[in-house]
Amino acid sequence: MSDKMTEDEFEAAFAAATELSEYFREIGPDCDVKNKFPKQSIAKFKKSGLVALNVPKEYGGLGADILQTSKIISELSRGDSAITLAYNMHFIMVGMCMGLFSEAQNKEWLGRVADGDIVFGPFSEQRAGFSGLADMTAVPQPEGGWRLYGKKVWGTLSEAANIVTTNATITDADGNLPDTFEERVEQESFFVAEFKVDAKGQGDGVRIERTWDALGMHATGTHTIHFEGFYVPEDGFVCSWRGGAFGVLEWASLMFASIYLGMQYRVLEEARAVLSKKTLGATFGAIAAAETKVANVGHIIDGIGDMASRVELSRRVVHRTCQELVDGYDDNWPVELRFPYIGLAKTFTAENVMYMTKRAMSLVGGSSFRRGAIFERLYRDSAASMFQPLNADQSCTYIGEQLLAPEELSD
Amino acid sequence: MSTFKDADEVYAYIGKAMEACVVEPAFVEATKDGSLVVKIIQTAPDATILVDFPGQKVLCGDAAVDAPSTVQLRMSSDNANRFWQGKLNFTLAMAQRKIKLEGKRSTALGLLPLTGPIFDTYKTILADAGRTDLIVD
Ligand SMILES: Cc1cc2nc3c(=O)[nH]c(=O)nc-3n(C[C@H](O)[C@H](O)[C@H](O)COP(=O)(O)OP(=O)(O)OC[C@H]3O[C@@H](n4cnc5c(N)ncnc54)[C@H](O)[C@@H]3O)c2cc1C
Repeated sequence: MSDKMTEDEFEAAFAAATELSEYFREIGPDCDVKNKFPKQSIAKFKKSGLVALNVPKEYGGLGADILQTSKIISELSRGDSAITLAYNMHFIMVGMCMGLFSEAQNKEWLGRVADGDIVFGPFSEQRAGFSGLADMTAVPQPEGGWRLYGKKVWGTLSEAANIVTTNATITDADGNLPDTFEERVEQESFFVAEFKVDAKGQGDGVRIERTWDALGMHATGTHTIHFEGFYVPEDGFVCSWRGGAFGVLEWASLMFASIYLGMQYRVLEEARAVLSKKTLGATFGAIAAAETKVANVGHIIDGIGDMASRVELSRRVVHRTCQELVDGYDDNWPVELRFPYIGLAKTFTAENVMYMTKRAMSLVGGSSFRRGAIFERLYRDSAASMFQPLNADQSCTYIGEQLLAPEELSD
Repeated sequence: MSTFKDADEVYAYIGKAMEACVVEPAFVEATKDGSLVVKIIQTAPDATILVDFPGQKVLCGDAAVDAPSTVQLRMSSDNANRFWQGKLNFTLAMAQRKIKLEGKRSTALGLLPLTGPIFDTYKTILADAGRTDLIVD
């Protein structure tokens, strides 16, 4: 048996994704209106087998690489971007964890994922998002292990998860954070633990507060997670967070890029469906005619062509970036620029999906603006692409800073 | 923290720690089939050390300057002293430009998990030489 996912295996997984995507498409609008994560989708997600998609075969998974995973996420997102963004957190965390876990942790936790467990990763806090050093504390316990205290305000997929991965700063026995910045970096750590809550979201030392209320991505159920003495045993320590994350963040940024690529497929599909048929009848405006068919209007023809070009370019950027990682080409990038360079695929798809959702509304016309129209929904959901790391501003700062830095070391 | 007097001290302590490393079985095993040749370029005082893992040899000074390498690691001698004692967070030092790492990423980062055992070796060398003043708390 190959340790990689074969073409045939990929086709089977893709077919399962197409079926699941259809289901997401069906239930998505209601989740959007009700601002709810669809708990009924959990069983279907597990049944599809995709829960183990990027778990290596040696731990019982399907062994998809980052490109194969990306294609499947885009296919799911084509059905419903918000529900897929929720499950995407699982794929991101599996991808990151397998590069950071010890062999024993891989066996235990990835083995559990292969058996159907779902992982989520609340890292961002109130004070600062992903780049903020954790204010959440991990207080060492006399019997070993830690108790976590703090609040994570972006807990996507918490309502489906059985495994939590998070970051917290190890304190002294009294719970005091380290005094210096350097020590804080050193002590900020990555943990994994079992996550069990009841129907009300209450668990032992942890609870979900249902706070999610945002412009879009309603079905993600991105609630607040309170850690109130949540116990993590010693073997739940994974590694130092920043040092570890630095090497595996491609799983976050490229999977987000894949979400927004799938969304671009959907925008184009929906715009074509409407604009290829729509007839305005008799008009007196830019075009004055007894019968105006929108598919014959210049700016609409150009608009669809432009959108299709953006989809194709985004597809190439995302797939090519994934392929370069698979082939190890990223070895040729300066070490410091690897993360922002990988992130370019995400910022590129983000810019394009936001442009396209706006353009599609303008081409389709006012009906697209009405509540419940797929276009207003995609427009709102696409705005989330501004925020996941790295955002476009930070990518440019990162790259510019490196390129303008003096040769001398800063000591 | 005290600092190195001159390059010879750097070679006597850090160079010696590297010599112990390249023949240590765990390192030999991890690097024997690779191409990990690290050139450590230090400032204040200026010093250059070449650590050839597959070749199991260490060169210091002029001999190291001209020798080819697959990874270059630049840092001040003070930071090198901290780094080889496990007292400098590599990722943070890189973000703050206290360390500059050049070369192929996979080769370069392959170096990191190997550094742990060097710390004790280095501290023992400092202690044996009576330079406990260089040991960072
Ligand atoms: C739908 C959705 C789901 C999400 N799900 C999750 C999840 O499951 N888990 C999770 O951990 N997070 C999640 N997030 C949070 C997300 O990843 C960000 O952490 C969050 O949006 C806040 O970060 P920010 O950079 O946008 O804002 P802030 O961190 O508040 O930043 C404010 C401003 O400062 C800039 N800035 C921030 N840091 C730096 C820096 N170091 N250097 C220079 N400039 C900086 C930013 O670019 C921004 O302009 C989710 C976000 C969304 C929209």
